[in-house]
Amino acid sequence: MPHVTAETAVRPGRSARADLAPEPGRGFGLPAAGFLAPFLLLYLLFIIGPAIYGLIMSFFDTSAVKPGLSSFAGFGNYTEALQSGDFWSSLWHTMWFTILTTPPLILIAFVLALLADRVKKGRWFFRLAFFAPYILPSAVVALIWIWLYTPGLGLIEAGLGQIGITAPNWLGDPGWAMPSLALTTVWWTLGFNFVLYLAGLQEIPRDLYEASAMDGASPWQQIRSITIPMLARTTTLVAVLQVIASLKVFDQMYMMTAGGPNFATRSILQYVYDEGFTNFRIGYASAVSMLFFLVVLAVSAVWFALVRRQERGL
Amino acid sequence: MSIETRVKLFNRICAGVLIAFALLWLVPLLWALDTALKPNAETTRTSWLIEDPTLGAFGRTLRETDILNWFGSSLFISTLSAAGAVLTGSLAAYALSRMRFRYRNAIFWFVLAGIMIPGQVLIVPQFREMDSLGLLNTFWAVSLPQIPTAIAVFIFKQFFDGLPKELEEVARMDGAGFLRIYRRIIMPLARPAVAAVAIFTFVSSWNDLLWPLLVLSNPDIMTVPVGLATVQGSFGIRYADTMASAILGAIPLVAVFLLFQRNIVEGIAGSGLKG
Amino acid sequence: MTLTRRALLSGGAAAAALGLTGCSGLTPGRRTGGSLDYWNLFGGGDGVRMAQMLDVFRTANRGVDLDAVTLAWGNPYYTKLSLATLGDKPPDVAVAHLTRMKTMVEAGLVEELLPEDLARHGMTADKFTPRTWQAGLVEGRTYAIPIDTHPFVMFYNTDVCEKAGLLDSSGALSPLDTPERFTDALRRAKEVTKAQGGVVAITNETATPWRIFQSLYGQLGGEMLADEGRRVVVDEARATQVLDFLQGLTREGLAPASADYQGTIATFANGQAGFFFQGEWEISTFQTAKTPFSMTLFPNVFGGEKYAVQADSHTLLIPRQPDRDPERIDRALLFIRSMLDQSKTWAEGGHVPSWLPFRDSAEYKAMTPQSNYATAADAAVYDPEGWYSGSGSNFEIITGSIIASVMAGQQAPATAIAQIRDKLTNLATTAPPI
Repeated sequence: MPHVTAETAVRPGRSARADLAPEPGRGFGLPAAGFLAPFLLLYLLFIIGPAIYGLIMSFFDTSAVKPGLSSFAGFGNYTEALQSGDFWSSLWHTMWFTILTTPPLILIAFVLALLADRVKKGRWFFRLAFFAPYILPSAVVALIWIWLYTPGLGLIEAGLGQIGITAPNWLGDPGWAMPSLALTTVWWTLGFNFVLYLAGLQEIPRDLYEASAMDGASPWQQIRSITIPMLARTTTLVAVLQVIASLKVFDQMYMMTAGGPNFATRSILQYVYDEGFTNFRIGYASAVSMLFFLVVLAVSAVWFALVRRQERGL
Repeated sequence: MSIETRVKLFNRICAGVLIAFALLWLVPLLWALDTALKPNAETTRTSWLIEDPTLGAFGRTLRETDILNWFGSSLFISTLSAAGAVLTGSLAAYALSRMRFRYRNAIFWFVLAGIMIPGQVLIVPQFREMDSLGLLNTFWAVSLPQIPTAIAVFIFKQFFDGLPKELEEVARMDGAGFLRIYRRIIMPLARPAVAAVAIFTFVSSWNDLLWPLLVLSNPDIMTVPVGLATVQGSFGIRYADTMASAILGAIPLVAVFLLFQRNIVEGIAGSGLKG
Repeated sequence: MTLTRRALLSGGAAAAALGLTGCSGLTPGRRTGGSLDYWNLFGGGDGVRMAQMLDVFRTANRGVDLDAVTLAWGNPYYTKLSLATLGDKPPDVAVAHLTRMKTMVEAGLVEELLPEDLARHGMTADKFTPRTWQAGLVEGRTYAIPIDTHPFVMFYNTDVCEKAGLLDSSGALSPLDTPERFTDALRRAKEVTKAQGGVVAITNETATPWRIFQSLYGQLGGEMLADEGRRVVVDEARATQVLDFLQGLTREGLAPASADYQGTIATFANGQAGFFFQGEWEISTFQTAKTPFSMTLFPNVFGGEKYAVQADSHTLLIPRQPDRDPERIDRALLFIRSMLDQSKTWAEGGHVPSWLPFRDSAEYKAMTPQSNYATAADAAVYDPEGWYSGSGSNFEIITGSIIASVMAGQQAPATAIAQIRDKLTNLATTAPPI
């Protein structure tokens, strides 16, 4: 039996001729339908269907506690959202969160991966230390960090106090709440990027480094001229994934600050949740969801453009 | 200093910085464990020293919360979602990879488009749908939308596309139908892809908060994240108990991680795809 | 075979999980056979007291399997309760603030409590504080049973006030029923403590600023909303008067311009303030801290003849049930009656009982300082009606944060009132979802 590994199979671009000769005169319509049916059925029912229904609902004043679509609102929900201070501020909070988390999650992961690449022994320990938080559910992360941030009893405050710095009220101060959530998120998800970068680093051929070392390049120069360019694709991937994931942030805000203080950390998804399920206005919430979807599409489009450019460049 | 010594020194510094960061990264978890092993009264003093170590916090959490029920719910839902995703995804991918039929390309792009739709955009209409189907507050409500994962189809198709055709051609000449080829030849070879899809679906299903939060309102059928988030406030200032519940909530996935570490890491490195 | 092994594994896991969860997640059915699910939002001291009351119920009713769940206070609690009811798996009985209960009734999420059922358990209208009972009716129908009123009150340090010469011959605080007497008392207290006169939480806090504002504004007879929240009727003159007064307190250093909830508790507990303004529920905190204190009605600064003070009431209601099972409803009513019978335990937490058989008893009158402010229940000003209003609601968050900024000296009353009117109008003109 040929030995097929995950790597060779999953990497895109390997094309084998993808179809067996069909019976003469026909395609494989019927068996294909059978194989596709389970997936497509669930897909239509629970993904595409709701997507269309959500679009429809966004044009009505649908309520969670009233059956049916209720009264027609036209573009009313959309105009309300676009004119709503709450909508724009929750969008801004999401952006701010993205800005606060993406650079550290890329840079720190990159630097740590670089360091780990140099250190031959004990890599399992570093992988464990950095990646372990990533598999924790957000609820566990939230509980642990709420405890770390507790005024008066938190470890961070105690630590800072020992060196003479008075800590702010991490989660209760409107200016510090978002940075605190950002710090928690960096701790939580850095491991994923770390692993990605480490794998990318290990694919760079060693002889490139040896050759440049013989030309007298210092480690720093090697990083600049070899490592960083070779990791450009990984970095693009990491960056876009990070941005899209940050746009979808909800868990940390919901559990650690409830969107507060005074809505200072409410993300766009939490706004959808508040409006749709606490205030029962699911028609309006659907409109906001659609606008949010457009933002995600825009970011993804930028990514596609970037990747296409890189592919061409290579 | 010779270049060799410089390089060695540089490496030592790197190692030092790395170790420092790694230890720093472990602090929150260690602190949580430290707190959980204290009696509640002792947690008001911020210190690593545990004067009166006890497992009482864990006992109280197990008794007072429904955390064991939450384990059961999460296990059932995540397993269902993972098995469903593997099954439906691989079946669909096999058709798209190996069979020629009309609209094949169109259907493939149709499925791929699903990757573009973030699940969070759909929570409102999905909630409404589950309400009308009478499925609110059941495991099905959580699992059914998690099963048709476009990414699973993509991963399996990539994998199948890379498999050599000879085995199947031989089997077909012997008169084997698609289903048998799928079961006997393709799937046994697809272990890495199965592992990747199964583990990722399982973990992301387990960790999902927003959707289960909406549809599961009964504390005894909540999943672990939802349960922890919902009864968050009820511990009050019993910080040891709170940390114990957090640690208990983390254990199942940490176990999964330790068991499947290599698969998980390889999966990320190889596919570079995130949920 | 990978596939069948996988199937076995999942099957085995599923079976194990089923065993643990008792199949309740597979169908929308509910627990049967003598069970009673109760949801509440009581943490801290209230939570402890509630736990005691539940134990008494369990001992007296061994045939009933009571399962109590505590959820986080505020919007998360009400959202979960509403979603559970929509999903046809509500608890059998749940706590709700009187002000939020009305919204739930309008949304069709609450069972009506029929007079004959209530009478069977001895819960008739005449057994409750009239104001509280009336406030809970919707179109003349009963949907919830009030168990208490929890008003905004004034705590005072007896030692400090004695030294400041504010106590009368019987050791009680002389009434501070004019603005001058109020500020004078705070000034004298500050001279004694050499720290603060009075403390009220305004930093990172929205409920407290709203409550102190509403108490004074209500004394002036002011209203915020009309037409069930569809119109904003903030009275410029009265609101300015109240905000000026409140801002004056911090400006003249009689109360700190930066103080969060926990901070104000710590300050009063350590005797660094003569007066503490908050809901009555903090009574246990200071009893535990052994602070020498007493409590009384929030001062009637502006009210004159008509006293008013902000308050809300906890009620017990039965969420809309998918099947109107008379047995389950009866069990729920039995539970509610048991809670009322234990009003004494509940009152120890500072709440004013609405169950007259206890409130009018000598036992309650002997409870000091709780009975000092019992009349607050009759003078309670509840949050205005509206689907976005009620305890912990967006209404409170919006108004509270703006009022807090005025008290912190960050903006003038005029701009604040304009801001309040602006933001509330946004909510008022939105089509109500219920």
